[in-house]
Amino acid sequence: MVDKQLQLVIVTPERTVFDEPASALRFPLFDGQIGILPGRAPLVGRLGYGELKVTNASGSEKSFFIDGGFVQVKGPVVSILTARAIPTAEVKRSDAEEALKKATALPGTTEQQAATKAREIERARRLLTLAH
Amino acid sequence: MAKARAIVKRLKAVKNIRKITKTMELIATARFKKAMDRATEAAAYTKKISEIVADLSATNLTFTHPLLKAHETQTNGILLILTSNRGLCGGYNGAVLRPALARQKELKSSLNLSVECSGRRGLTFLKYQQINVTEQFTNFEDKPGFDEVEAIANRYIELYCSGKLDRLDIAYTKFESASRQRAVVETLLPIGSLGAATGSASTEKNIDYEFLPSAGEILEEIVPAAFKARLFKCFLDAAVSEQIARRVAMKAATENAGDMIKSLSMQYNRARQSQITSELSEIIGGAAALEA
Repeated sequence: MVDKQLQLVIVTPERTVFDEPASALRFPLFDGQIGILPGRAPLVGRLGYGELKVTNASGSEKSFFIDGGFVQVKGPVVSILTARAIPTAEVKRSDAEEALKKATALPGTTEQQAATKAREIERARRLLTLAH
Repeated sequence: MAKARAIVKRLKAVKNIRKITKTMELIATARFKKAMDRATEAAAYTKKISEIVADLSATNLTFTHPLLKAHETQTNGILLILTSNRGLCGGYNGAVLRPALARQKELKSSLNLSVECSGRRGLTFLKYQQINVTEQFTNFEDKPGFDEVEAIANRYIELYCSGKLDRLDIAYTKFESASRQRAVVETLLPIGSLGAATGSASTEKNIDYEFLPSAGEILEEIVPAAFKARLFKCFLDAAVSEQIARRVAMKAATENAGDMIKSLSMQYNRARQSQITSELSEIIGGAAALEA
């Protein structure tokens, strides 16, 4: 198992952002963090918002902000489908603050609206923790 | 003399036009390549989505989602028309607007239909036809962004789920191949089927997936995602087709200008020749008169 590698593919509706081998992944699912190592059993899951950390064979790390979506693990291939994948280095504090401001200003009178609002605030907070 | 000069003037104008159309053709070609690349890259997402849908359907789940269900009473409809912002692209806009208008007439009788339009060309046309446009977009150029399309898609999803919208039609130019584009009117909502759900599932061998949180909840999320991807694809197709149409139109214009230059220079040469001939005969005539 040790010599096996994962192949991580991140696709957004606009383009394939990332397609490289990796030795370990950590990212948020809808209810908390999940870690994936080579040899993971097949999985389809709903993603949350937050940081995706990719460790490759030489030990160096890459990090992205992922914006909801789905993950599919099938053999060695891990596909991440998300609306946006932004390299963490490109997440700007001003953008994140603006997103939070917008999210808090959303109406939350009906049940559906409140759920949307809570989700947007959660997303903006996660974005803010990564921003610099 | 006067005639030759007039021809020279026209010749210059036509040559200028040819330069411009030639440049526009090159620009359209470059943009088409870029738009095409974007469209192929976007296809990866749609493919993955339908793959997951296929995996889900293998779990014998019944597909129930508000977006998949047709409403019992059809009262409100939206027709979205995708046209271009700029002209000089041949029959591109006309080809979309013709079937769109036919569909609009057809639906107007049975539904409370509102028309939405993207692109300045379509907007002016609809204004001329005195068709009320409820929502208009002019921010889509040759590179439609997912963020912008997502905003529109979210509005449709909300309207549909809350029952304020019963049917969504979209008129756009479908990209089939580099040499074939077709103007079509499609019904996006309710979603008839989730694409390649059945076809790919049967060929692949079943993998026993672990679903987090559950197949049903994933389905709930994936249906809107599939809808968004589909709408986004329409916008991308329209953008690619527009560039192709423009390239073809500009190519024809350049060729026509070339033909015109040829015939004009021939005319000019003839005019010049006859002018020289008449001058010569005048001189000879004058000299002969002096000798006599």
